[in-house]
Amino acid sequence: MQKIGDVSDAQLVTSIARYSEVALAEAYRRHGGAVYGLARRVLNNSAEAEDVTQEVFLRLWDQPDRFDASRGSLRSYLLAQTHGRAVDAVRSLHSRRLREVKDAQRTATAAYDMDHEIWDLALADQVAHALGELPGEERRDIEMAYFGGHSYQEVARLLHQPEGTVKGRIRNGMQRMRTLLVAAGVLEVGA
Amino acid sequence: MITHDEASALLASFALDAVEDEEQRQVEAHLATCRRCRSELDAMREVAAAMGNSVETLPEGLWSSIAGCLPERGDAEPPPMPRLMAGDRATYGAPGTRGGRRPIRGPVGALALAATAVAAVLGVGLVRADDRVAHYASLARVGAAGTVAAALSTAGHQMVNLETADHVQLARFVVVPDGRGYLVASSLPALGSHHTYQLWGTIGHQPISLGLLGRSPRQATFTVAGTAPLSKLSVTVEPAGGSVAPSGQAVASGAV
Repeated sequence: MQKIGDVSDAQLVTSIARYSEVALAEAYRRHGGAVYGLARRVLNNSAEAEDVTQEVFLRLWDQPDRFDASRGSLRSYLLAQTHGRAVDAVRSLHSRRLREVKDAQRTATAAYDMDHEIWDLALADQVAHALGELPGEERRDIEMAYFGGHSYQEVARLLHQPEGTVKGRIRNGMQRMRTLLVAAGVLEVGA
Repeated sequence: MITHDEASALLASFALDAVEDEEQRQVEAHLATCRRCRSELDAMREVAAAMGNSVETLPEGLWSSIAGCLPERGDAEPPPMPRLMAGDRATYGAPGTRGGRRPIRGPVGALALAATAVAAVLGVGLVRADDRVAHYASLARVGAAGTVAAALSTAGHQMVNLETADHVQLARFVVVPDGRGYLVASSLPALGSHHTYQLWGTIGHQPISLGLLGRSPRQATFTVAGTAPLSKLSVTVEPAGGSVAPSGQAVASGAV
């Protein structure tokens, strides 16, 4: 008999598809903190982050077949879902004012504060190191897009840069990040 | 319609949810037909997830709120929320940990109960399909999500046991009459990061790739099209990117 702590994420999702609430609870235990953490970071609002977290796990319950284990980890899948929902909220009129406040705060702190936000210091170090290796403009554009919830066109407008330039910097930066994270052993080759 | 190159140039922004609606639709349409771009997008999303992996303490009561939204199923009590113990966080992205196993920790009573419940519903291990058809049929009626369950309840499905040359069973697939197949269970041992399992179907004496199963297969689907019958399934170990033809002996195979 297999114990719940020994069950892989993919098996958990299979079990969720068979209406196991215990499996959903275990998925929440493993990944809820990351989902909530990313939602809160993008939304800058605990209540909205809770809503997004709830939405993400209820969607996993309703549509577990949308997770394809051959295309990445459950954590990545849930974070992609989380980010999409958080960005939708950020882009809504209701949240626009909140985003402006958040942007002002980010400008004031002038950097990412991952060391305080990522649970695994080793991973945080690797990610922060990789981000630090990027040319400043690439890093800024990626952070404005990902954590600020801006489209690359918005980033371009905000920075008075051509859209193609920002799009290219995001692409180059992400590819560079991937190479660095693979070299650091954080991501798998071919993942 | 955008070209492959145009879509490819947008994938990084797409992975960051940083494209606007029209381009998003165009990229999605392209992704539906381009495996290479899907793979590239998956890689970009792994990078995004690494950046966004900032675990915070979960608010008290959030789990109760989620559990309270689940449909009533007769067993009204929501499952116990296993406590997150120090050092027991899910590993992310570290080599060899994807889909990996972690030791059980936490409150013994709650987890023992949880373990029993999960073991009961997971069907971990190779199950006897004949015994379970009625069970799976009822599950399939409950919702469309259980694709394996649905396949196992499809009339005319075939179970294919993949065994080693020494008759050790390593995997089981179910194949339904329309040509779709699903991995039901696997005990294939995890491979190193430079290798993957690859599934082959023998069609007209020729092995045809049915897809990569990854280093530690847990879920897989494939589709066999055309009129030629599928006579055998086999699994080989290949370099991480896969091969166009089997590069060695099958580690397990089974007749359809």
